[in-house]
Amino acid sequence: MAVSVDEAVSPGPTRQRRPATRRFGGGRGRSVVEVALLAVLAVVMLFPVLWMIETSIKENRDVYAVPAQFFGFTVTMDHFRDVFIAPGGGRSDLSVAFLNSVLVAGVSTTLATVLGVPAAWAYSRFAVKAKKDQLFFILSTRFMPPVVVVIPIFLMYRQVGLIDTKLGLILIYAAFNLPFTIWMMKGFVDEVPAEYEDAAMLDGYTRLQAFRRFTLPLLVPGIAATAVFALIFSWNEFVFAIFLTSSDEVRTAPPAIAGLIGGTTVDWGLVAAASVVFALPVLIFAYLVRKHLVAGVTLGAVRR
Amino acid sequence: MRHPKRTGRLSGPGRKVQLATAAMLLVATTMAACGDGKDDGATTSAPAAPATIPELTTDPLTLSFIWFEWPPAQALEAFANEEYKKERPNVTIKVNTVPNANWHDAMFTQFAARKTDFDIAILDSQHIGEAVTNGNILDITEFVKNNIEVDAYNPYLLAAYGQFPQAETGQRDENASLYGLPLLGDTWTMIYRKDLIGDEPPKTWDEMISVAEKCQADNPGVSGLAFHQANGSDAAAVTYNTVNGVYGGNLWDAKNRKIEGVLNDAAGQEAMDVLVNKMKPLTAKGSGNWFIDEVNAAVAQGKACIAFNWIAASGGLLDPKESTLGSTREQILDKLGFATLPSQKTDLVPLGGMGMHVSAYSAKDNQAEALNFMKWFERADIQKKWAAAGGVPSRTDALESPEFLNAGPFNQVYADSVPRMRDMWNVPEYARLVDIENTNVNAALNGAKSPQQALDDIAKEQQAVLDSSNRKGGGGL
Amino acid sequence: MVSTTPPARGRFRRLSDRGLAVAFISPALLLLLAMSVFPLLWALYLSFTDYSATRGGPARWVGFGNYTAVLTSAQVHQRTLTTLIYVVGAVTLQTVLGFTIAYLISRRTRGRGVLTTLFLVPMMLSPVVVGLFWRFMLDAQFGVINSMLGSLGIGQVEWLTRQRTALISLIVVDTWQWTPFIMLIALAGLTAVPKYLYEAASIDRASEWFRFRTITLPLVWPLLLIAVLFRAIEAFRLFDLVYILTNGGPGVSTETLSFHVYKVAFLGFNTGTASAYGILMVLVVIVLTQLYLRYLNKLKEG
Repeated sequence: MAVSVDEAVSPGPTRQRRPATRRFGGGRGRSVVEVALLAVLAVVMLFPVLWMIETSIKENRDVYAVPAQFFGFTVTMDHFRDVFIAPGGGRSDLSVAFLNSVLVAGVSTTLATVLGVPAAWAYSRFAVKAKKDQLFFILSTRFMPPVVVVIPIFLMYRQVGLIDTKLGLILIYAAFNLPFTIWMMKGFVDEVPAEYEDAAMLDGYTRLQAFRRFTLPLLVPGIAATAVFALIFSWNEFVFAIFLTSSDEVRTAPPAIAGLIGGTTVDWGLVAAASVVFALPVLIFAYLVRKHLVAGVTLGAVRR
Repeated sequence: MRHPKRTGRLSGPGRKVQLATAAMLLVATTMAACGDGKDDGATTSAPAAPATIPELTTDPLTLSFIWFEWPPAQALEAFANEEYKKERPNVTIKVNTVPNANWHDAMFTQFAARKTDFDIAILDSQHIGEAVTNGNILDITEFVKNNIEVDAYNPYLLAAYGQFPQAETGQRDENASLYGLPLLGDTWTMIYRKDLIGDEPPKTWDEMISVAEKCQADNPGVSGLAFHQANGSDAAAVTYNTVNGVYGGNLWDAKNRKIEGVLNDAAGQEAMDVLVNKMKPLTAKGSGNWFIDEVNAAVAQGKACIAFNWIAASGGLLDPKESTLGSTREQILDKLGFATLPSQKTDLVPLGGMGMHVSAYSAKDNQAEALNFMKWFERADIQKKWAAAGGVPSRTDALESPEFLNAGPFNQVYADSVPRMRDMWNVPEYARLVDIENTNVNAALNGAKSPQQALDDIAKEQQAVLDSSNRKGGGGL
Repeated sequence: MVSTTPPARGRFRRLSDRGLAVAFISPALLLLLAMSVFPLLWALYLSFTDYSATRGGPARWVGFGNYTAVLTSAQVHQRTLTTLIYVVGAVTLQTVLGFTIAYLISRRTRGRGVLTTLFLVPMMLSPVVVGLFWRFMLDAQFGVINSMLGSLGIGQVEWLTRQRTALISLIVVDTWQWTPFIMLIALAGLTAVPKYLYEAASIDRASEWFRFRTITLPLVWPLLLIAVLFRAIEAFRLFDLVYILTNGGPGVSTETLSFHVYKVAFLGFNTGTASAYGILMVLVVIVLTQLYLRYLNKLKEG
């Protein structure tokens, strides 16, 4: 019923437009092939995600079913309950890990932003000596293999008692996100004409005031986008987390989810549910900053 | 990209970077040197625990353990909080768990940090050497003398979870130092399908293989065997060591620290040949990365005739919710049998399980509480209660008690296996030795290396690790 | 919005500029020095010693002993080859696929936004989630991939336990996760190609392939190169996917350099050797980063 109503209401435009789009290229047949190819690729890319969601709402005996069951299984929300609630009642270890992740990712992102935005502004506005070298140095720290960095970080942390602490994770994540924040934000600052600040200073504002009152408000969307990317990096990070933390109270979600396998039984339904819960915030955030994705994923190096 | 025109002669932090870098280098060198200095004093021998338990605190105290994630960890926490609280109401027990693959690293990185978030480390028996050599755990020799009835145990169980240097199989050296007490005993059990191969389990290893072969041929979709093959933890290594023991091989000559020529002697080669050429073909396709959970899943799904697994990890097999073999425990037990391992040239079985070891870096009050807990835990009545709660005790009286033998169908298997146990090498280099063996046995099982080549590589590389203490750089490769 | 009363004019403008630059930049640089440079220098020092993080004892100076040991070790050579195959395989595959998808999307007039967003999902997932899930899907017995192959009449494939397939699986999973990355950047390049160029070419009745080769590719190429280099650096450091998907197996055949460093550093706690190993990896990364930045600069100037 609904379908026929829709068809009745909007028949014209799509049909009329078709000849126009056909004008260049090899005609309709080719277009169909392209759409089909795109559709196949989209299915291939999205299938694992759909399968993950499906597994998270299956009962365990259907999870292991051979051949795999695509439809017609009993839907259960038990796995999602298990993510948050321990078998005996009370808070599960996973939910504690999620809270830890929120805290660690949140604070480290804030720290990287507070340190990175002013630095990015200064690099953009002032003729700092050896600016290129400094910026190169800053970016190159981001490319260090984590497994290599973790060795001396481990030794350093043990001297100052930061092993297995949230503060330790926060500091290393902030340091890893800082290069990204500076590069990304420098791009945003470059886009704000310096003349705004010059004009303000002619009016008697100091440069700091000019930055705070005129430039900073214009940077807010950029800061938000940058912070979201930093948040995603910290949220997903695994290597530092697994080597620098060990107790349930400190552990973040990625090692906690990894810890779900390798016991005496593997509850793939629970793994899937935990993964869905864990991935959801990232996908929402990524959708919010979709305009800045290109800059975001290249550490602010490539912009449109 | 617009270029800011802002000028101003700023010398900027450019030069400062260089200066700071130089300064950092200086500090780094100094600090590293200082770190070394500090380490010197703290190492080379384990600090001794008091011979008697010091006065215990009456303030609220949390006694923390570290173990890996598996059902006995939850069982221990529940049991200890239930029972120990009756004696010490101010104490709460917390068992921290890490993924099995990360267990060694999680404990020893904390030991390396000289700060642990646990008071009692539940070390694998082979970890003791590394922990003792680095001074990470307390020497409890005197404490044991004064507080534990050593005669109540099979001497080898006491030695396996506490003694260093390592005891010879089946014995305890009364003059050697003790660093831990048994927490959970364990060994492999053979799990077999009574409905497919009959009630009587095969008695010899060769017979077991031919029974599995026939079973696989008779039952399409069910594979003959399921056992640990993964390259992580100690999975594939224990499997090879078990077959090696059964076929009369030796892992090493402990006195002369010789592996090359010992492990890969005729018996060792036969064992590798049996494992790769006779047993592996009877396993499911793609089972080359299986460990505890996958083997359990295969049994629960009715996909294996005969399987081998640790007893302490087998409890889940009787849970109807996880099994397709029956809808009640009784129905499952009609189909599943548990037996001691078949013997061949010898009747050796692998020693599993873990002991309790007091962290040298935990607070004095907590160490005292830990000692008190261990003394309490090794009491005859508590060992029986631990057995009833699903644990595997070590005291002989508890092992022979109906509380233990009736608690699970595999407990008789454990009791019968105690005199047959053999352990791996308990040396500071254990982690590397087991990795070499794991990866090579795993390679052989999955066709990445020939069995002969894998065995020779294990012997050669392990020997190099044992001999490498005096090399100039490059250790660990 | 903005206060309109102008405050007193700052008198020490130049001085405050300088002060501001220092005050704004130095906290960030200090954090980086403390958390990146200082640890690396420490590692550099340790790489010349036989220090062990657990054994303690004095760190003996061994000169270049660790470096020669790492560089001459057959074990290291094997991991280098594995890493190389993996980097080249994965990056090539995702470049081809990513560019194809981007090209196809760029030719659509409608639904571009939705399509792009959908394709990007894998990239946003944590490597842990990706690794675990693919391990589940690639399981030889009950994995959905073999189940689907089975219904096509293809027998069970041992995805994670055979030398060749395990490395291929690793490449496939990495490709699945990072194809969207290349796609995104290629798309940015493709949509930036001015329409009039195509129109001019279309008047000339140039063939499709000719247009692609002479207009599209040259304009997108520099951007694509940056994406490729970026992925190469990331792939070179790969650790987490290996840790979860294959644990380096079967045997050690999917152990990457990062994974091997981890074993040296945390199994035997041979901190000195691991540091030297790590420093060598850092050198490679620095060279790759240099290349990356050179192309980046070219792109910006061009």
